[in-house]
Amino acid sequence: MRISIYRYDPEAGTKPHMQDYTIEPERSDKKLLDVLMRLRRVDDSLSFRRSCREGVCGSDAMNINGRNGLACMTSVAALKEPVVLRPLPGFPVIRDLVVDMTQFFAHYHAIKPYLINDEVPPEHERLQMPEQRERLNGLYECILCACCSAFCPSYWWNPDKFIGPAGLLQAYRFIVDSRDTATTERLAYLDDVYRLYRCRTIMNCTEVCPKGLSPSHAIEQIRLELVRASS
Amino acid sequence: MRVFLGQRAWLLQRATAVVLLMLLALGAALLLVGPPLTYERWHALATSPHGAVIVILLFAALSVHGWIGARDIVLDYVHSLPLRLSVLAIIAVILSAVVIRVALLMATHMSPVS
Repeated sequence: MRISIYRYDPEAGTKPHMQDYTIEPERSDKKLLDVLMRLRRVDDSLSFRRSCREGVCGSDAMNINGRNGLACMTSVAALKEPVVLRPLPGFPVIRDLVVDMTQFFAHYHAIKPYLINDEVPPEHERLQMPEQRERLNGLYECILCACCSAFCPSYWWNPDKFIGPAGLLQAYRFIVDSRDTATTERLAYLDDVYRLYRCRTIMNCTEVCPKGLSPSHAIEQIRLELVRASS
Repeated sequence: MRVFLGQRAWLLQRATAVVLLMLLALGAALLLVGPPLTYERWHALATSPHGAVIVILLFAALSVHGWIGARDIVLDYVHSLPLRLSVLAIIAVILSAVVIRVALLMATHMSPVS
Protein backbone atom coordinates (compact mmCIF):
# COMPACT_ATOMS: atom_id res chain seq x y z
CA MET A 1 0.00 0.00 0.00
CA ARG A 2 1.39 3.37 -1.04
CA ILE A 3 0.82 6.31 1.32
CA SER A 4 1.93 9.89 0.91
CA ILE A 5 1.92 11.87 4.16
CA TYR A 6 2.35 15.57 4.89
CA ARG A 7 5.42 15.98 7.08
CA TYR A 8 6.33 19.11 9.00
CA ASP A 9 8.48 19.46 12.05
CA PRO A 10 9.02 23.11 13.03
CA GLU A 11 11.75 22.12 15.49
CA ALA A 12 13.77 20.49 12.71
CA GLY A 13 13.66 23.70 10.69
CA THR A 14 12.72 21.92 7.45
CA LYS A 15 9.97 23.03 5.13
CA PRO A 16 6.71 21.07 4.95
CA HIS A 17 6.89 18.26 2.40
CA MET A 18 5.11 15.06 1.37
CA GLN A 19 6.82 11.81 2.32
CA ASP A 20 6.04 8.58 0.49
CA TYR A 21 5.76 5.25 2.30
CA THR A 22 5.09 1.75 1.08
CA ILE A 23 3.69 -0.66 3.62
CA GLU A 24 1.93 -4.00 3.43
CA PRO A 25 -1.12 -4.00 5.72
CA GLU A 26 -1.81 -7.11 7.76
CA ARG A 27 -5.18 -8.85 7.46
CA SER A 28 -6.24 -7.31 10.75
CA ASP A 29 -5.61 -3.76 9.45
CA LYS A 30 -9.17 -2.91 8.48
CA LYS A 31 -9.08 0.83 9.03
CA LEU A 32 -6.66 3.55 8.01
CA LEU A 33 -5.73 4.14 11.64
CA ASP A 34 -4.52 0.52 11.88
CA VAL A 35 -2.18 1.15 8.95
CA LEU A 36 -0.95 4.41 10.47
CA MET A 37 -0.21 2.64 13.76
CA ARG A 38 1.74 0.01 11.84
CA LEU A 39 3.56 2.73 9.94
CA ARG A 40 4.60 4.40 13.16
CA ARG A 41 6.39 1.24 14.17
CA VAL A 42 8.58 1.79 11.12
CA ASP A 43 8.89 5.57 11.45
CA ASP A 44 8.37 6.73 15.03
CA SER A 45 8.84 10.38 14.05
CA LEU A 46 5.40 10.43 12.42
CA SER A 47 2.90 12.42 14.52
CA PHE A 48 -0.87 12.12 14.55
CA ARG A 49 -3.58 12.14 17.21
CA ARG A 50 -5.64 9.09 18.11
CA SER A 51 -7.42 7.77 21.14
CA CYS A 52 -10.57 5.65 21.08
CA ARG A 53 -10.03 4.17 17.55
CA GLU A 54 -13.79 3.72 17.12
CA GLY A 55 -15.19 7.07 15.96
CA VAL A 56 -16.15 8.44 19.33
CA CYS A 57 -13.34 10.73 20.46
CA GLY A 58 -12.80 12.58 17.16
CA SER A 59 -9.02 12.80 17.67
CA ASP A 60 -7.81 11.32 14.39
CA ALA A 61 -9.54 13.70 11.98
CA MET A 62 -7.40 14.37 8.92
CA ASN A 63 -7.65 15.04 5.22
CA ILE A 64 -7.72 11.68 3.46
CA ASN A 65 -7.41 11.76 -0.32
CA GLY A 66 -8.73 15.33 -0.35
CA ARG A 67 -11.65 14.73 1.96
CA ASN A 68 -11.79 15.20 5.73
CA GLY A 69 -12.54 12.10 7.75
CA LEU A 70 -11.63 9.99 10.74
CA ALA A 71 -8.78 7.56 10.15
CA CYS A 72 -10.41 5.06 12.50
CA MET A 73 -13.63 5.01 10.47
CA THR A 74 -12.05 4.91 7.01
CA SER A 75 -11.85 1.44 5.50
CA VAL A 76 -8.51 0.60 3.95
CA ALA A 77 -10.21 -1.42 1.22
CA ALA A 78 -12.11 1.63 -0.03
CA LEU A 79 -9.06 3.87 -0.39
CA LYS A 80 -7.56 4.76 -3.74
CA GLU A 81 -3.76 4.58 -3.87
CA PRO A 82 -1.56 6.40 -3.26
CA VAL A 83 -3.42 7.44 -0.14
CA VAL A 84 -2.65 11.11 0.40
CA LEU A 85 -2.88 12.24 4.03
CA ARG A 86 -2.75 15.88 5.04
CA PRO A 87 -3.63 17.76 8.24
CA LEU A 88 -7.10 19.33 8.50
CA PRO A 89 -7.15 22.20 5.97
CA GLY A 90 -7.25 25.75 7.28
CA PHE A 91 -5.97 24.82 10.73
CA PRO A 92 -2.46 25.81 11.90
CA VAL A 93 -0.18 22.77 11.80
CA ILE A 94 1.71 21.89 14.97
CA ARG A 95 3.50 18.89 13.52
CA ASP A 96 2.76 16.42 10.69
CA LEU A 97 -0.97 15.58 10.95
CA VAL A 98 -1.46 17.31 14.31
CA VAL A 99 -3.24 20.68 14.10
CA ASP A 100 -3.81 23.48 16.58
CA MET A 101 -7.47 23.43 17.61
CA THR A 102 -7.32 26.37 20.06
CA GLN A 103 -9.44 28.65 17.87
CA PHE A 104 -11.94 25.89 17.15
CA PHE A 105 -12.52 25.22 20.84
CA ALA A 106 -12.59 28.96 21.64
CA HIS A 107 -15.66 29.22 19.37
CA TYR A 108 -17.13 26.13 21.03
CA HIS A 109 -16.74 27.65 24.51
CA ALA A 110 -18.15 30.99 23.28
CA ILE A 111 -21.53 29.45 22.47
CA LYS A 112 -21.80 28.26 26.12
CA PRO A 113 -22.12 24.54 25.46
CA TYR A 114 -23.99 23.71 28.65
CA LEU A 115 -27.54 23.96 29.93
CA ILE A 116 -28.45 27.35 31.39
CA ASN A 117 -31.45 27.27 33.68
CA ASP A 118 -31.82 29.59 36.64
CA GLU A 119 -35.03 28.01 37.88
CA VAL A 120 -34.93 26.01 41.11
CA PRO A 121 -33.79 22.52 40.15
CA PRO A 122 -36.28 19.72 40.78
CA GLU A 123 -35.49 16.93 43.21
CA HIS A 124 -34.57 14.61 40.37
CA GLU A 125 -33.68 15.41 36.77
CA ARG A 126 -35.44 18.00 34.57
CA LEU A 127 -37.94 15.98 32.58
CA GLN A 128 -38.63 16.25 28.86
CA MET A 129 -41.49 15.01 26.72
CA PRO A 130 -40.40 12.41 24.13
CA GLU A 131 -40.93 14.92 21.29
CA GLN A 132 -38.75 17.48 23.12
CA ARG A 133 -36.02 14.91 23.49
CA GLU A 134 -36.47 13.94 19.85
CA ARG A 135 -35.39 17.42 18.76
CA LEU A 136 -31.90 16.79 20.17
CA ASN A 137 -31.33 13.85 17.86
CA GLY A 138 -28.86 14.64 15.11
CA LEU A 139 -27.28 17.31 17.30
CA TYR A 140 -25.98 15.77 20.52
CA GLU A 141 -24.01 13.12 18.61
CA CYS A 142 -21.38 15.64 17.44
CA ILE A 143 -17.92 14.54 18.61
CA LEU A 144 -16.15 17.84 17.79
CA CYS A 145 -13.70 16.22 15.39
CA ALA A 146 -13.68 19.46 13.31
CA CYS A 147 -14.02 17.63 9.98
CA CYS A 148 -16.89 19.99 9.09
CA SER A 149 -15.31 23.29 10.10
CA ALA A 150 -12.05 22.33 8.39
CA PHE A 151 -13.96 21.63 5.16
CA CYS A 152 -15.90 24.91 5.22
CA PRO A 153 -14.56 27.67 2.91
CA SER A 154 -16.29 30.33 5.03
CA TYR A 155 -14.37 29.06 8.06
CA TRP A 156 -11.12 29.11 6.10
CA TRP A 157 -11.58 32.83 5.27
CA ASN A 158 -12.70 33.98 8.74
CA PRO A 159 -11.67 31.36 11.33
CA ASP A 160 -11.31 34.02 14.02
CA LYS A 161 -14.85 35.43 13.63
CA PHE A 162 -17.09 32.78 12.07
CA ILE A 163 -18.14 30.19 14.66
CA GLY A 164 -18.12 27.47 12.04
CA PRO A 165 -20.47 24.53 11.45
CA ALA A 166 -19.40 22.48 14.48
CA GLY A 167 -19.88 25.36 16.92
CA LEU A 168 -23.20 26.36 15.36
CA LEU A 169 -24.51 22.79 15.46
CA GLN A 170 -23.64 22.72 19.16
CA ALA A 171 -25.27 26.13 19.65
CA TYR A 172 -28.50 24.87 18.08
CA ARG A 173 -28.37 21.78 20.30
CA PHE A 174 -28.83 24.10 23.31
CA ILE A 175 -31.23 26.51 21.59
CA VAL A 176 -33.75 23.70 20.99
CA ASP A 177 -33.26 22.09 24.37
CA SER A 178 -36.56 22.50 26.26
CA ARG A 179 -34.68 22.60 29.56
CA ASP A 180 -32.55 25.60 28.57
CA THR A 181 -33.86 29.09 29.44
CA ALA A 182 -31.18 31.22 27.76
CA THR A 183 -32.51 30.95 24.19
CA THR A 184 -32.89 34.74 23.80
CA GLU A 185 -29.31 35.40 24.91
CA ARG A 186 -27.99 32.58 22.74
CA LEU A 187 -29.80 33.94 19.65
CA ALA A 188 -28.68 37.51 20.41
CA TYR A 189 -25.06 36.34 20.51
CA LEU A 190 -25.40 34.58 17.15
CA ASP A 191 -27.17 37.46 15.33
CA ASP A 192 -23.96 38.74 13.86
CA VAL A 193 -22.77 39.04 10.30
CA TYR A 194 -19.64 37.05 11.16
CA ARG A 195 -20.60 34.56 13.85
CA LEU A 196 -23.58 33.05 12.02
CA TYR A 197 -24.13 34.75 8.70
CA ARG A 198 -20.76 33.91 7.12
CA CYS A 199 -22.38 30.59 6.27
CA ARG A 200 -23.17 30.44 2.55
CA THR A 201 -24.99 27.10 2.73
CA ILE A 202 -22.16 25.47 0.76
CA MET A 203 -23.04 22.32 2.73
CA ASN A 204 -19.53 20.85 2.71
CA CYS A 205 -20.06 20.35 6.46
CA THR A 206 -23.05 18.07 5.96
CA GLU A 207 -21.34 16.29 3.09
CA VAL A 208 -18.23 15.45 5.10
CA CYS A 209 -19.50 14.79 8.65
CA PRO A 210 -18.25 11.31 9.65
CA LYS A 211 -21.20 10.94 12.04
CA GLY A 212 -23.77 11.70 9.33
CA LEU A 213 -25.00 14.91 11.00
CA SER A 214 -26.19 18.03 9.20
CA PRO A 215 -24.66 21.25 10.55
CA SER A 216 -26.08 23.19 7.57
CA HIS A 217 -29.59 22.18 8.61
CA ALA A 218 -28.87 23.32 12.18
CA ILE A 219 -27.57 26.67 10.86
CA GLU A 220 -30.73 27.13 8.79
CA GLN A 221 -32.83 26.37 11.85
CA ILE A 222 -30.94 29.00 13.89
CA ARG A 223 -31.69 31.57 11.18
CA LEU A 224 -35.38 30.63 11.28
CA GLU A 225 -35.37 30.81 15.09
CA LEU A 226 -33.95 34.33 14.79
CA VAL A 227 -36.73 35.29 12.36
CA ARG A 228 -39.37 33.87 14.75
CA ALA A 229 -37.76 35.66 17.70
CA SER A 230 -37.78 39.03 15.93
CA SER A 231 -41.31 38.81 14.51
CA MET B 1 -22.62 48.48 19.34
CA ARG B 2 -22.15 45.92 16.61
CA VAL B 3 -21.78 47.53 13.19
CA PHE B 4 -22.94 44.57 11.15
CA LEU B 5 -26.02 42.75 12.34
CA GLY B 6 -26.67 39.70 10.27
CA GLN B 7 -30.37 38.99 10.17
CA ARG B 8 -31.58 42.21 8.52
CA ALA B 9 -29.30 41.81 5.51
CA TRP B 10 -30.05 38.09 5.27
CA LEU B 11 -33.81 38.74 5.20
CA LEU B 12 -33.48 41.62 2.75
CA GLN B 13 -31.42 39.46 0.40
CA ARG B 14 -34.13 36.82 0.39
CA ALA B 15 -36.96 39.36 0.00
CA THR B 16 -35.24 40.98 -3.00
CA ALA B 17 -34.60 37.52 -4.46
CA VAL B 18 -38.36 36.86 -4.35
CA VAL B 19 -39.06 40.21 -6.04
CA LEU B 20 -36.48 39.46 -8.75
CA LEU B 21 -37.92 36.01 -9.30
CA MET B 22 -41.43 37.41 -9.70
CA LEU B 23 -40.25 40.08 -12.15
CA LEU B 24 -38.27 37.44 -14.05
CA ALA B 25 -41.46 35.38 -14.35
CA LEU B 26 -43.31 38.50 -15.52
CA GLY B 27 -40.64 39.11 -18.17
CA ALA B 28 -40.82 35.49 -19.32
CA ALA B 29 -44.62 35.75 -19.55
CA LEU B 30 -44.29 38.87 -21.71
CA LEU B 31 -41.97 37.02 -24.06
CA LEU B 32 -44.25 33.99 -24.36
CA VAL B 33 -47.70 35.61 -24.38
CA GLY B 34 -49.12 38.22 -26.74
CA PRO B 35 -47.68 39.74 -29.90
CA PRO B 36 -43.95 39.54 -30.69
CA LEU B 37 -41.82 41.66 -28.37
CA THR B 38 -40.69 44.38 -30.76
CA TYR B 39 -38.83 47.52 -29.75
CA GLU B 40 -42.06 49.52 -29.98
CA ARG B 41 -43.85 47.12 -27.61
CA TRP B 42 -40.92 47.10 -25.16
CA HIS B 43 -40.83 50.90 -25.25
CA ALA B 44 -44.56 51.17 -24.68
CA LEU B 45 -44.44 48.69 -21.80
CA ALA B 46 -41.44 50.23 -20.10
CA THR B 47 -42.63 53.81 -20.38
CA SER B 48 -46.19 53.20 -19.22
CA PRO B 49 -46.70 54.32 -15.58
CA HIS B 50 -46.95 50.73 -14.34
CA GLY B 51 -44.05 49.60 -16.50
CA ALA B 52 -41.84 52.44 -15.26
CA VAL B 53 -42.56 51.55 -11.63
CA ILE B 54 -41.74 47.90 -12.36
CA VAL B 55 -38.48 48.80 -14.11
CA ILE B 56 -37.42 51.02 -11.19
CA LEU B 57 -38.44 48.28 -8.74
CA LEU B 58 -36.42 45.75 -10.74
CA PHE B 59 -33.24 47.81 -10.61
CA ALA B 60 -33.76 48.78 -6.96
CA ALA B 61 -34.20 45.12 -5.94
CA LEU B 62 -31.23 44.12 -8.10
CA SER B 63 -29.06 46.80 -6.49
CA VAL B 64 -30.00 45.89 -2.92
CA HIS B 65 -29.53 42.17 -3.66
CA GLY B 66 -26.20 42.88 -5.37
CA TRP B 67 -25.06 45.15 -2.54
CA ILE B 68 -25.59 42.46 0.11
CA GLY B 69 -23.90 39.81 -2.03
CA ALA B 70 -20.95 42.06 -2.87
CA ARG B 71 -20.66 43.19 0.75
CA ASP B 72 -20.48 39.56 1.87
CA ILE B 73 -17.72 38.81 -0.63
CA VAL B 74 -15.78 41.88 0.54
CA LEU B 75 -16.21 40.88 4.21
CA ASP B 76 -14.89 37.42 3.33
CA TYR B 77 -11.87 38.30 1.27
CA VAL B 78 -10.82 41.91 1.97
CA HIS B 79 -9.49 42.06 5.51
CA SER B 80 -7.63 45.38 5.39
CA LEU B 81 -10.05 48.00 6.78
CA PRO B 82 -9.08 50.97 4.53
CA LEU B 83 -9.19 48.76 1.43
CA ARG B 84 -12.47 47.22 2.53
CA LEU B 85 -14.10 50.63 3.06
CA SER B 86 -12.81 51.83 -0.32
CA VAL B 87 -14.15 48.78 -2.18
CA LEU B 88 -17.51 49.02 -0.38
CA ALA B 89 -17.76 52.74 -1.20
CA ILE B 90 -17.04 52.09 -4.91
CA ILE B 91 -19.70 49.34 -5.03
CA ALA B 92 -22.23 51.56 -3.22
CA VAL B 93 -21.61 54.46 -5.62
CA ILE B 94 -21.94 52.24 -8.71
CA LEU B 95 -25.16 50.56 -7.55
CA SER B 96 -26.73 53.84 -6.39
CA ALA B 97 -25.80 55.50 -9.68
CA VAL B 98 -27.48 52.71 -11.64
CA VAL B 99 -30.74 53.06 -9.69
CA ILE B 100 -30.72 56.88 -9.88
CA ARG B 101 -29.95 56.79 -13.62
CA VAL B 102 -32.78 54.33 -14.29
CA ALA B 103 -35.22 56.37 -12.19
CA LEU B 104 -34.28 59.57 -14.04
CA LEU B 105 -34.58 57.79 -17.39
CA MET B 106 -38.01 56.49 -16.52
CA ALA B 107 -39.15 59.90 -15.24
CA THR B 108 -37.99 61.53 -18.48
CA HIS B 109 -39.50 59.02 -20.88
CA MET B 110 -42.61 57.94 -19.00
CA SER B 111 -45.80 58.37 -21.02
CA PRO B 112 -48.38 60.70 -19.48
CA VAL B 113 -51.18 58.94 -17.63
CA SER B 114 -54.15 58.76 -19.98
